[in-house]
Amino acid sequence: MNLGFNSPLVLLLLPLVLLPVIFAIQRAQGYPSLAAVETDTLSRVIDVVLHLSGVVALAALLAALAGIHLSGQTVERVGEGSHIVLLLDRSSSMDDTFAGRPPGDGEASKSAAARHLLRDFVEKRPHDRFGVAAFSTLPMYVLPITSQRDAVLGAIDAITRPGLAYTNVGLGLSLALSMHEADPTAASRAIVLVSDGAAVIDRRVQEKLRAQIAKRPVNLYWLYLRTEGAPGIFDPPGEDVPDTPQALPERHLNIFFQSLKVPYRAFEAENPKAVADAIAEIDKLERNPIRYQERIPEVDLSKIAYGIAGAALLLLTLAKLAEVQLDGGGHRGERASSSVTATRRAAAISREKEAA
Amino acid sequence: MTDRGPHDTAPPADIPYRLPWRSSNVRVGTHRGKLEGAGGFFRDVVPLLRSPDPRRIDLRISARDPFEGLYARRFEQKTSVVVYAIVDVSASMGFRGSADKMRLAAQLCGALAGSVRRAGDAFGLIGCDAVVQKDLTFLATRARGSEMEMLSRLRSFTPRGAGSQGFIDAAGLIAGRRKLVFLISDFYIPSEETEKIFAAFAHHDIVPIVLSDSLEIERLPRWGIMSLTDLEVGRRRLVVMRPSLWEAWQRRSGRRRAALRSIAARFGRAPFEIQDRIDWDRLGAHLVGGYA
Repeated sequence: MNLGFNSPLVLLLLPLVLLPVIFAIQRAQGYPSLAAVETDTLSRVIDVVLHLSGVVALAALLAALAGIHLSGQTVERVGEGSHIVLLLDRSSSMDDTFAGRPPGDGEASKSAAARHLLRDFVEKRPHDRFGVAAFSTLPMYVLPITSQRDAVLGAIDAITRPGLAYTNVGLGLSLALSMHEADPTAASRAIVLVSDGAAVIDRRVQEKLRAQIAKRPVNLYWLYLRTEGAPGIFDPPGEDVPDTPQALPERHLNIFFQSLKVPYRAFEAENPKAVADAIAEIDKLERNPIRYQERIPEVDLSKIAYGIAGAALLLLTLAKLAEVQLDGGGHRGERASSSVTATRRAAAISREKEAA
Repeated sequence: MTDRGPHDTAPPADIPYRLPWRSSNVRVGTHRGKLEGAGGFFRDVVPLLRSPDPRRIDLRISARDPFEGLYARRFEQKTSVVVYAIVDVSASMGFRGSADKMRLAAQLCGALAGSVRRAGDAFGLIGCDAVVQKDLTFLATRARGSEMEMLSRLRSFTPRGAGSQGFIDAAGLIAGRRKLVFLISDFYIPSEETEKIFAAFAHHDIVPIVLSDSLEIERLPRWGIMSLTDLEVGRRRLVVMRPSLWEAWQRRSGRRRAALRSIAARFGRAPFEIQDRIDWDRLGAHLVGGYA
């Protein structure tokens, strides 16, 4: 914790805080002899308190004007978690329900179900850093790998926006892998692919993906939101269906993923409950030690400083309001105080005379 | 207290003062003296040889004397006295609350000077704080109009000094025959010093006049915060006035007055307190009859 100031030049005025030590807020009133009156502890305490609160008020005001704050810093900690890129399908079919039709009353679209569960997932894993990428026909770079939870949640929320076009898994994956490459830290890495379908991955793209994965191995999870009636990942091909990527893209994407020689799990989810199970499973699997940086944000203390100054000034104001003149009204008190200055002036003159 | 300004209480033509002692002054005046002479008061009868004035032979006493001596009556010579006003001009006298103490002092001295001059006595004025103020040292004189200069200087004087040593020095200045000495001060003086001052003037007839201001003690507000500056020392003190402290101040003030009274009683007259304005009638009564 170290204090910082936005404009330290203001602190040059700090010697001014000694002014209330010298001056009192009350107007000095002459009194013949204080030796002849009772001393009073409470009065003395209040006197000290009032002077101090003058000092405090000035100091706090100056600190607030100088923009006092606790500088932000990052602390490295070790916890459990991974760097996870959420690769979200933004194809228009995600807007449909698991039954493959636009959501009606009380029904959740696939994207809404995924959003809900992914939010939980992100919130449950405090030490993970998440990146978000989306893909449709082309990949979309949404959020680099970051520990800014709010941004991640915002990005996840955005998947319920109406979908765009078709599904192009290959380029999306490539983007997710490149996001991992851009993140230099040594941590367990994972990509969670959330999609409701697959497409043929171009052979050139396949080669590129293999190269990327070889460079930086990641754990791969595929959460397949299976629409009712759509072909499954694990289903063997029907007899009348040719076993080609064109005919069964999901099955062949799975086979491709398995061939990547990285830890890989695929989850087939046909309803929100299954999605929840799959996410819980991912949560269980991704439990590796991680060194993570906790960023302690800059704390602006000027409000507190203003508050302290306000309180001190309020105290002084109350004390000023409680002040009484010796005769309880105007002109004579003035004369009494003027006699103090007259006395001082006369004393100064007499000293000068003596010196001369 | 009624709200009367100082101008409402114009001093009377004369402040009566009577001496309960015999002056040994040789100058003819209006007071009873120790000397015999052509006064009206019968004093005693002495043999004619001691007082060789055949005009005053007392036949009855002479005839009664078995040794046939002649006796003459003697009468008291009325004499004058010297009156001094020793005025405290230390800074504490600069307090201006309900009244201006220096103005009260000047008023009192003015009235005294007039009365004293009309009675044929000599009047002198000495202002002192830690030292005897040279500007305010006027040795007793009968010169008419002399009081004008004294008073104008006293009125224009700004009290600034601290201390009371000047009183003792002033006592040295007026040593000699017994005099009537008005000690005019607020008597914010520690009691040991007060005692020393009274002791220094013990030879004279001391009339302590206490100038006080009701705002100092009696009319202090019961609640509130005051920042008081000691006019003499210059030290500032914050006072959070509340009824308990107020009572304490009153008690302390009562003790201070009692202490002054007891000191004054040992050396002569009781102190006369002038609060806010001069009550001339009471002052006259005090000077004529109030002999402690």
